[in-house]
Amino acid sequence: MSMFLRSDKSFDTGGSGSTARESSPPATDTKRPPSTTTSSDIAGSQPRAVSVISKSLKITGQLESTEDIQVDGEVDGDVRGASVKIGSNARVKGTVYGETVELSGTIDGKIEAKKVVLTSTAHMSGDVIHQDIRIESGAFIDGYCRPEFGKVTNKTVHPAPKPVGATPATPVREKTGTTGDFGSRP
Amino acid sequence: MPALPHVAILTPPRGGEVSDVPSHLGKALTIKGRLDTTGAIHIYGNVHGRITADRLVLGAGGYVEGDVVANDVRIGGRFAGRIFARNVTLDGSADVTGRIFHHTATVAKGARIDGRMPWRPLNYFERLEHLREAQS
Repeated sequence: MSMFLRSDKSFDTGGSGSTARESSPPATDTKRPPSTTTSSDIAGSQPRAVSVISKSLKITGQLESTEDIQVDGEVDGDVRGASVKIGSNARVKGTVYGETVELSGTIDGKIEAKKVVLTSTAHMSGDVIHQDIRIESGAFIDGYCRPEFGKVTNKTVHPAPKPVGATPATPVREKTGTTGDFGSRP
Repeated sequence: MPALPHVAILTPPRGGEVSDVPSHLGKALTIKGRLDTTGAIHIYGNVHGRITADRLVLGAGGYVEGDVVANDVRIGGRFAGRIFARNVTLDGSADVTGRIFHHTATVAKGARIDGRMPWRPLNYFERLEHLREAQS
């Protein structure tokens, strides 16, 4: 008799007239349990992003999502999302992974994303691994930009172009002492 | 035991923070770690860790594991851990395991509570020392 009361109580958005919609057959989507109808209603009221870390929120730890994330606050840790936007007053200390990463704030760490956008207020300290990058005038970058997103991550940090010719085999020959004439001593 | 910055969160709500939008953690989002805010958080995803906020709403479908310190807490999803809040509201879809330290509580029909709901006077929530004691 009252079985439906348990899962269908909408709250927080005062759901005027939404109860009729919620009591409709719920199993339309494959993944969603029926009780998440209320959450999608609320998500619809905030079209900016699926998840919003507002500016007063500080997170110490890791964020992971299969959907979009908008960060306006402070994150001390890694962020993973489909499309990640770091707002102009936001700070992230850690790696930001995503299909798309749009930076308007500050990252102290790394970006790994297919598509990277650094807007004019961006402040990026660290490497950017990308496939496609756009940097607006005014953006600050201190780090490497490497188009290696999606490639095998062989850990060749800092490809350090050491001049190979500068270390010839002559010192070895000098030690052996045989045929010292090959050496290029001055 | 120095006073932590989030002591202020349990003092009466600050008017200056009203303009800030509530943080919204969507259902696909998983956070492991600690969340601190002077504003509101709406959680529809998963959070493992400690949460400090002025107001916390755990929506149906959301799951939180850990301790929550807030002025107002509204639970519509699953929760495991401890709640320290002046005002606690459990909706009919709530499923709570643990303790709910509260001053006022509202529990809707259908809510499931496995644990205790200790009442505390208001001054208990003004000092975090009690809470920190409870944390350890």
